[in-house]
Amino acid sequence: MSKAARTRTARERLAEQRAREAAKQKRTRATLISIAGIVIVALVVTLGAYLINKKEKRTQLAHAYSGQLAPLSRDSDGGITMAKAGVTAPLLEVFEDFQCPVCKQFESTSGDTIKKLAAEGKVKVVYRPFQLFTDNPQASNTKRAAMAALCVPADKWVSYHDALYKYQPTEGTEGFSTKNLKLWAKDLGFEDATFDKCVDDKQKASQLTAITNYTLKQRGVTGTPTVFLNGKSLNLENQLMSASGLEQAILAAGATASSASPSASPTK
Amino acid sequence: MVTFRTYQPWLTLAARLGLAVVLFWAGWAKITEPTGLKQLAVSEYDILPKGMVPAVATGLPLLEICLAALLVVGFATRLTAILSGILMLVFIGGIISAWSRGLRINCGCFGGAGQVADPHYLREIFRDLGFFALAAFIAIWPRCKVSLDRALGLYTD
Repeated sequence: MSKAARTRTARERLAEQRAREAAKQKRTRATLISIAGIVIVALVVTLGAYLINKKEKRTQLAHAYSGQLAPLSRDSDGGITMAKAGVTAPLLEVFEDFQCPVCKQFESTSGDTIKKLAAEGKVKVVYRPFQLFTDNPQASNTKRAAMAALCVPADKWVSYHDALYKYQPTEGTEGFSTKNLKLWAKDLGFEDATFDKCVDDKQKASQLTAITNYTLKQRGVTGTPTVFLNGKSLNLENQLMSASGLEQAILAAGATASSASPSASPTK
Repeated sequence: MVTFRTYQPWLTLAARLGLAVVLFWAGWAKITEPTGLKQLAVSEYDILPKGMVPAVATGLPLLEICLAALLVVGFATRLTAILSGILMLVFIGGIISAWSRGLRINCGCFGGAGQVADPHYLREIFRDLGFFALAAFIAIWPRCKVSLDRALGLYTD
């Protein structure tokens, strides 16, 4: 081979080698970029999902009632009786709708007074939440809440009832989600498969209808809150929206010997 | 002479931007929804195990937004195009599965969820096939004049 020919092939080989190296560099770069791409996507998706989930931490927690409570029991018709043993008079019957804003106010004003007087043995309380609202979303909200409340064990009922009023949805918006109804049960330590099924399967639907019919037809209730003391409907402004007014009425009724009991309880 | 080689980079750029807009729109519409709605959209397909629903409901829109951003910037173009294409195939598979089981649902592709009286599954499948075609084009010809890949020296021409 001539010298010129040798130089040419040497140059060719060098050029080939450089081309191969450049190609290899390019491939490495491409691979690195692809790996970086995968890492970026994985990071964004997992980190982002984690941060988003963290942001949605719960703000609506149910808390157990911290004050004194009289013993609670579930009546056969679904009502909740709160009374010290042996106390049958005076009788305070509370007809409420969980979605009713005035009921929420009533509970926040006088709710604790009622609990206190019952705990002191001064009154027998029967809670009867029913469905007053017929338009949606209020109707479906209240049904969900009332049916869930019917699934709650008696000893936790007051705390659950308080949570429902605390997180009452604004009228016109959807609320009392099945998810929250179960979470509040979890907060109060009684959520289990039975409760969940009771809520999911709407097992208490017919009982709620019976209570509602009894309330509207037999007791003639037209609005909420309606509270009967020994069968007589209490005045909203003076005796429901005033804790002292309510206490006075209850103590006065207890002082008098007579006590009239209401008509039969609703059938299941 | 104007050949495919001359205008291919611009086609790729157009495809990248087009696909990016679609993915971003789909991802953004979903990620701004309340969690309950997002999860409903996923769970209605009745394909995934219940435990995976929240993860997918949150992760999917993030994935779409991330791919959209990478496509716009032109980073790891072939890879992101391939991932986008696979995503489209997964969506198409989901729609076919729902359709074949007689479900009548909102595909949730651009947000939303719920039962639908008259679902337009075929339309949605064709739409997603179109997006798949875009992704395939970019995957086969990722070379572009305007892209981060080029700035990083991936293309020597």
